[in-house]
Amino acid sequence: MKGIVKGMGVTLKNLTKKKVTHQYPDVPLEMPDRFRGVQHFDPEKCIVCNQCMNICPTDCIDLIGKKNPDPEKKGKVIDTYDINFEICILCDLCTEVCPTEAIVMTNNFELATYSRDDLFKNMEWLNDNNTNVRKENSINIPPKKAKKEEK
Amino acid sequence: MSDQKQVTEMDPKESKKNIENIEEEVTEEPSPNQDRLDRIVELIKTNIAEDAIEVAFINELDRDLPCIVIRSPYWVKTAMLLKESELLKLNYLRNVSGIDFETHFEVVYYLLSMSTGNQLDVCIKVKADRENPSIPSITSVWNTANWNEREIYDLLGVQFPGHPNLKRIMMPDDWEGHPLRKDYEPIDPEV
Amino acid sequence: MIRTEELLLNVGPQHPSTHGVFRIIVKLDGEVITEATPVIGYLHRGTEKLAENLTYTQVIPYTDRMDYVSAMTNNYVLCHAVETLMDLEIPERAEFLRLIVMELQRIASHLVWWGTYLLDIGAMSPFLYAFREREMIVNMFNELCGARLTYFYMRVGGVKWDAPEGWIDKVRDFIPYMREKLDEYEQLVSGNEIFLARVKGVGTYDAQSAIDFGLSGANLRSTGVKFDLRKDQPYSIYDRFDFDVPVQTAGDCYARYLVRFEEIKQSLRILEQAVEQFPEDGQIMAKVPRVIRPPEGEVYTRIESPRGEIGCHIVSKKKPQPYRLKFRRPSFVNLQILPKLLVGETMTNLVTILGGIDIVLGEVDG
Repeated sequence: MKGIVKGMGVTLKNLTKKKVTHQYPDVPLEMPDRFRGVQHFDPEKCIVCNQCMNICPTDCIDLIGKKNPDPEKKGKVIDTYDINFEICILCDLCTEVCPTEAIVMTNNFELATYSRDDLFKNMEWLNDNNTNVRKENSINIPPKKAKKEEK
Repeated sequence: MSDQKQVTEMDPKESKKNIENIEEEVTEEPSPNQDRLDRIVELIKTNIAEDAIEVAFINELDRDLPCIVIRSPYWVKTAMLLKESELLKLNYLRNVSGIDFETHFEVVYYLLSMSTGNQLDVCIKVKADRENPSIPSITSVWNTANWNEREIYDLLGVQFPGHPNLKRIMMPDDWEGHPLRKDYEPIDPEV
Repeated sequence: MIRTEELLLNVGPQHPSTHGVFRIIVKLDGEVITEATPVIGYLHRGTEKLAENLTYTQVIPYTDRMDYVSAMTNNYVLCHAVETLMDLEIPERAEFLRLIVMELQRIASHLVWWGTYLLDIGAMSPFLYAFREREMIVNMFNELCGARLTYFYMRVGGVKWDAPEGWIDKVRDFIPYMREKLDEYEQLVSGNEIFLARVKGVGTYDAQSAIDFGLSGANLRSTGVKFDLRKDQPYSIYDRFDFDVPVQTAGDCYARYLVRFEEIKQSLRILEQAVEQFPEDGQIMAKVPRVIRPPEGEVYTRIESPRGEIGCHIVSKKKPQPYRLKFRRPSFVNLQILPKLLVGETMTNLVTILGGIDIVLGEVDG
C-alpha cells in the first residue's frame, strides 16, 4: 500500500500545476523557423536545372521547362511544376539542392483533405503558399554562389 | 547537369587515391588482426578439413576485420567448432545478411564472443550458386539465425536445409518471386 | 474437474497492446498459453530494396521511418557506415552535435517505452507524464532540424544544421529538470505494489539464452551480461565520457524496466559532460564530394540504439547507390525470443512480456 500512496502524492502535487496541453486547432500551433512544412515555389527564380526532381527520394516532383519567351534571354523558364503530397515526405532535399532558392520550405503543415486528388499541388498553388516562408535556407549554398545572387 | 560535371572532375582524383591505397597496402605492415585470422584458419584446418576454407583475408575497410569464406558442406561443423572451441567461443551471432552478386549468392555472418572478453568480430561468408542456392541452416547452433534465415529465404530465395520452419516471413505466403534478387520483376508493378 | 478445450486466439495485427501491426496466434489451455506463433511483415516497406536505387543521401530519410521512435540513431548508423567506408574525418562540432542528439533521443525513446509499457499493464497516468517530458525533447529537435519525428538531421560527413542560438543552453537546462522528473517517476511507479506484482518474475530468461537468441540492449543487460557498444566497441566520441553501463541479473521484466530507467540517468550524465565540452565553434560538415561514391568493399558498423545493437551492412561497388544495404534491426532480432517466453504464461502476461521486450514494428518489418 505504501507505494500506491506515494504515487498518489505525486498525482496530487501535479494537480495544482499549470496546464501543459495546447488547444490545437482552436489555438494555432507555431512552428520554429526551421520547420519543414509544405514548400513554396517561386517560378520566376526557377532556372529549370532539374536538380530537385533528381534528388527527390520518392519521385514526387514533376516539372517541365520551356524556352524563354523573351528571345533576348538564354536558358529555360518553368512551365509546369507539380508536387504530389501523397508521397512527398518533406525531407528538405529539394530545397537543399536548389541553387536559386526557387523552392523553399514554409512552416505551413496542415494538408489534410477529404480527397486524395487534392493532395496533388500544381505550380499556382505552390506559388500562392507564400506565408511563413523559412528564412534560413541558404545554409547549404556554397559561399561563392550565394554571393553571386546578391549581386 | 552540374552533377555530372562534378563527377568528371572528381574521378581522376579518386582513382589516384586508389592507386596510392594499393601502394600503401603493399608496403604496409601486416594488420594487427592477421595473427588472429591465422589462428582461426589453423583451427578450422586441423579440426574440420584442409579444404574447408576457400579463402581468408583481412577487410581493411572495415577496421581490419578477419573474414573467412567457408565451403558450404563444412559450414555446420565449422559453426559448431567456432562456437564451442575454447579459443574462440564465438557464441553471439550479431548479424546475418544475404547478398545477390548476380553470379552467386553470399550469406555473411558476423560473429562475436561474449565470454572471452576480447570482444573482436569475425566475419564468415558462405557462398551458394545462383541456379539452385542452398546453404545448410545453422539455427541449431545459434538461435538468432532462425528468423534471419527465414528473411533471407523470403527476400533472396536461398534455401536453408535443416531449418525448423523455413517459411516466408516478410512477404505474404503466396508471393511470387524473391524481391531482393537483382533480376526480380514484380508481377504487378503497381504494388 | 472442469474440462477445458484448447482455444486458438488471434491477437492483432490491429491491437493496442502490440504497439503497431504485430500479430500473434496463441494456443490457449484455459488462461495458459501453450504455443505462440508471431506473424510479422505487415509493415514491410522494402527499405533495403528501395535503397538499391537511391543514393546514400536519399536513403537517410528512409532510415528515419524504420525505428520511428529513435530516428537519430538510425540516421547515424547509416552515415557512420558510409563514413567508415570512405575513411572520413568528422569535424569535432558535428560529432558533439550528433552525440547530444543521440543521447537526447535515447531518453525520448525510453520515455515513450516507459509510458506505453505502463499503459499496457494498466497504469494510465505515467503515459501522460512521460509524454510531457518527451515533448520537450521533441520540441528541441524541431528547433534544431525542423521535424518532430522524422528528423533527417545527419548527412554523410556531418550534420545538416548547426545548433541555433541558445539551443545548447536549453539542453543544459533540461538535464536537472529531467533528473527531478525521474525522481517523481520513481515515486509514482517504481514502488507501486500492483506494478511490482505484474512485472517481477515474469518473462524470465537467463544470460545463455539471451546470447543464443542474439538479444541486445536492455534485453541482454537485464541478464547480467555487461555489453554496451558505447563502452565495448566505442564509436563516435563516446570513449571521452564517463558513464556506467547499468546491469541487472534477474532477467525478468522488472530487471529490464530497471535497466532502461537507469539508462536514462546515464544518458543525462553523458549529456551533462557533452554540453560542458561542447566546442565553441567549428565546422559541421566534413569535406565530402557532392556525389558520394564509397570505394568498392564491404563494411558492417553497429551502434547502440535505445533498443539494442543496430547495424548497417553495406556492399559498395563504387557507385553512388549501394549495391546491397542491410540493416540489422534490433527489434527484429529481439522479438525472436518471444514464443519461447510465452509458453506457460497466462494471457495477461503476454502484454507484459511483449511490452518488456520493447519493439518498434517499423523496425521489425524493415
